[in-house]
Amino acid sequence: MQSRQRAAKLVLVVMVAGATLAAGEVRKEFRYTVGHHASVSIVNQYGPISVKPAPGLQVIVTAILASDKVEVDASQNGDRVDVVSHLLPDANEDNARVEYQVQVPVDASVSLHSSTGVLHAERLRGDVTLEGPSASVDVHDITDAHVHVKTMNGPVTLVNIRQGHVEIASVSGEVNLRQVSGSFVQVNSTSGKINYDGDFGGAGRYLLTSHTGDIEAIAPSYASIEVVARSEKGTVENDFPLQPEHTSFVVKAGSAFAGTVGKAASSVKLFSFSGKIHLKKR
Amino acid sequence: MTCEQFRQILPEISELVPSSEQDEHLQSCDECSSLFSDLNFLTREAAFLQVDEEPSPRVWNSIEIVLREERLIREPKPAPAPAVSFWNWRPARVLLSAAAVVALAFGVALHQRNTAQRQVAVSNTPDPGPAIVTAPKRLAAALPVAPEDQQLLDAVGSRSPAMRAAYEANLEDVNAYIRDAEASAQQDPNDEDAQQYLMDAYQQRNVVYEMALDRSLP
Repeated sequence: MQSRQRAAKLVLVVMVAGATLAAGEVRKEFRYTVGHHASVSIVNQYGPISVKPAPGLQVIVTAILASDKVEVDASQNGDRVDVVSHLLPDANEDNARVEYQVQVPVDASVSLHSSTGVLHAERLRGDVTLEGPSASVDVHDITDAHVHVKTMNGPVTLVNIRQGHVEIASVSGEVNLRQVSGSFVQVNSTSGKINYDGDFGGAGRYLLTSHTGDIEAIAPSYASIEVVARSEKGTVENDFPLQPEHTSFVVKAGSAFAGTVGKAASSVKLFSFSGKIHLKKR
Repeated sequence: MTCEQFRQILPEISELVPSSEQDEHLQSCDECSSLFSDLNFLTREAAFLQVDEEPSPRVWNSIEIVLREERLIREPKPAPAPAVSFWNWRPARVLLSAAAVVALAFGVALHQRNTAQRQVAVSNTPDPGPAIVTAPKRLAAALPVAPEDQQLLDAVGSRSPAMRAAYEANLEDVNAYIRDAEASAQQDPNDEDAQQYLMDAYQQRNVVYEMALDRSLP
């Protein structure tokens, strides 16, 4: 019996040690107590950042450093917490990688910056800002908050964003929105493709714009929208029977369509200079 | 007929068929006969320049320049008295210049024909694949980089050389976006959507600049 318990403990210790760290990695944890509507900022050149809510009013930052070529500078000033990955001499993308797992109060505002990592935020009710030239952005289950995303060529995925104010700017990254609705939803892209799959609800304004990227929007038959779609040199397709409405521009068949569906509660504008626009009915 | 007289009228001999008097001199003078043979040869060979081998206008301009430098084309002036030296002898200079010009034209025509043949050979080679087609398409569409864009790219390159190409490509796409948006807005200044589109285009440029100049990130 005792030998079995000893063996079990030994196995547990070995498992924990093995699961914790690879050779050279360092794990650090920072804990801060904040008030409501705290502000948390994480700047990390290389590596992912994941933010989730935690009960209470604590900010818990767990950082796994790849080597001693990078250090974490964390500080608190009132309800503002700043965490920065500080690269040391001879740092590179591999040895300066830091993986952040962050827990924040649900109403905290979060700002994440990374060059190449995955930026992840979920189940928050505070404003979320995610930026990075090549960072992949993944946000889901955000309610009643602002979501701001800026990438140069990193892909963006937003899922289940309700009552939101969403602004996305991605030069060449693909943008995917699923069940995203709110008072204002704007996506601006140069060459990236924009995919929207939702109900255009919330009596909001939806503006999806691209220069050369295609725009595909899928909405249910019961969607209530006033829609304008224009493509200067591309084509437009529409699966909805539209009630025609007056427009300030000439609607050229095949290059534009405009009209209303249902009670036209939301405004939807789909613009692409040379991409293809398709409004599909689910 | 003396040699001097013969050489003076040499350029005027019609179709290089000498008169009896001229022929009589040629029979007696080796030097003039040699000159006449050379001119005959050059004239014959020049005739073989085919229509499709005719040099471009640039070549003729070059020839004109040479002739002007040789003072063979000029405003009418009283001709100076010919010097005794052969090299100051006008007909000789004419012959030599004409020979040089014809040789030049020949060489240029030959070069152009060879170049055309090489271009035909290149266009007939099979398409190597989309990877190669894509790069020239981007280069063909590229415009000169604006100074501020060049500064930005240099700054990115000094800090993170691996990212420079990505920034350059995105900046190029964004500038094309702006150009198209400006054209749309100018086409119809009353089109509010076009104005919004233009603002969106500039916002995209701002994104690139922000990403590049954010010193907290590489």
